[in-house]
Amino acid sequence: EEEARGAGDSGNCSEEETDDEDSEEESAEEEAGEVRNKPEETEEMSEEEMEEEEGVLRWKEGLQQKAAEAFLRHQEAAPNLRKLVYGAVLEADNSEDDEEELGGLFRVSRPQKSRKAQANAVDCSRFQPDTSHNWDLEEMLDSIRDCFVTGKWEEGQDAA
Amino acid sequence: TIKMANQGLSYEGCNFLRQRLVLSTLSGKRVRIKNIRSKDDDPGLRDFEASFIRLLDKVTNGSRIEINQTGTVLSYQPGLLYGGSIEHDCNPQRSIGYYLEALLMLAPFMKMALKATLRGVTNNPNDPTIDLLKTTAVPLMKKFGIDGEGFDLKVVKRGMAPGGGGEVVFTCPIRRTLKPVQLTEPGKIKRIRGVAYSVRVSPQMANRIVESTRAVLNQFIPDIYIYTDHMKGANSGKSPGFGLTLVAETQNGCFLSAEMSSTPQGQGDPVLPEDLGRNCAKLLLEEIYRGGCVDSSNQSLALLLMTLGQQDVSKVLLGPLSAYTIEFLRHIRDFFQVMFKIEVQKPLEDERKGGDKVLMTCVGVGYSNINKTIK
Repeated sequence: EEEARGAGDSGNCSEEETDDEDSEEESAEEEAGEVRNKPEETEEMSEEEMEEEEGVLRWKEGLQQKAAEAFLRHQEAAPNLRKLVYGAVLEADNSEDDEEELGGLFRVSRPQKSRKAQANAVDCSRFQPDTSHNWDLEEMLDSIRDCFVTGKWEEGQDAA
Repeated sequence: TIKMANQGLSYEGCNFLRQRLVLSTLSGKRVRIKNIRSKDDDPGLRDFEASFIRLLDKVTNGSRIEINQTGTVLSYQPGLLYGGSIEHDCNPQRSIGYYLEALLMLAPFMKMALKATLRGVTNNPNDPTIDLLKTTAVPLMKKFGIDGEGFDLKVVKRGMAPGGGGEVVFTCPIRRTLKPVQLTEPGKIKRIRGVAYSVRVSPQMANRIVESTRAVLNQFIPDIYIYTDHMKGANSGKSPGFGLTLVAETQNGCFLSAEMSSTPQGQGDPVLPEDLGRNCAKLLLEEIYRGGCVDSSNQSLALLLMTLGQQDVSKVLLGPLSAYTIEFLRHIRDFFQVMFKIEVQKPLEDERKGGDKVLMTCVGVGYSNINKTIK
């Protein structure tokens, strides 16, 4: 299960790990709800039945998506993004003395504990979209209107 | 300093292989990666990774690569970036974009200007396509002073996944130093461009894509032009398919992109061109919502060029950081001891400019291309 989580949760620093697991579970439920709303699936199916029918692979896909969303939410909520990115480094600094030497040549750069989940995920730069954004809704479309020259201009700026 | 010279960095797992090897090559620090799919039924490096390592070997001189018998441990001692004219058959498990993302990061620092002819898959659903890199990564690199006549990325033959059969030529001039940049204000989007491509299917597919895409984007802006590109015969590769790359250009010369390719033959439910166009347009809206001066697929390229710039402050406004980018930032810290100042910028209450942005600031390490021949 750990391995299937994919690239999404790399941002976890250890202090926030418990939080994060909660939000992943939450989104597990959301995700199941979403899947069920798709037209090709029957609404009567229970969650377990669905998992069996869809097979292991589909279930893993869901996990990755969820993890990605949990990660994004996390980033938005993070009071200190720097800590989210470099959080693990503080730990590494403290434990510098007991760094493992491998054959005297290689230094273990940091504790690997929290990153096991993504260590063998697919090496891919693409940033998956936030699926909670429904771009069919007018309010969503309105949220980016001023990014275009056709939108509202701030004072002091000129459309020319 | 002797200790530094002996020191290498150690990582686990197959993920982020390219960032690690690229940063190792640029910093000269050796790297060891263990537990590569060690618990997998089929452990060790995959063919595409071996193909990537061979490409790295081709553009460097004196690199030492050791892989254990099961392929689960890789040791890499980087050589000098050499460049020159190279050819490479990129394993079709990944598209040429996978290989090019790394090559774009290395090319400006070669001894000889790079001319790389890469063969394989030009378009697949998961990796950045050549069309996308050409319209986003190339203009981004120009902002750092990497420009000139010899800077080009060209699709000679299009080869869709899974068969491939495509060919790409990438030429890049070399630079001794990079300019620091201040990209803090993206400006407003003035136009949208795109390429709808098709091979070995009816050329009508591309037209169907264009129509459904415009229907979504016309709600925002009238200046939309989507080229249709239908390659034929020997230039159309081995597999049928179609797809779309969209780019929104701002007044300040920033590019935000999105793309989508048809399902590779035999790998799942086929997709209708109308749906592909509509969904890709929505992906572009999502990318605009994220915003910033650099699109999400090029965040790490921008951060690398900031790190390597002259010893001056660089600032770049990004959308939310991708997981891939966050790991890249950690790797930059490991290899170059550079940590960025990271500040969240929330949009004002009455501003309709998408979500939170992130202002990234760093002082460049003053990286100098010692390989470059002085004329």
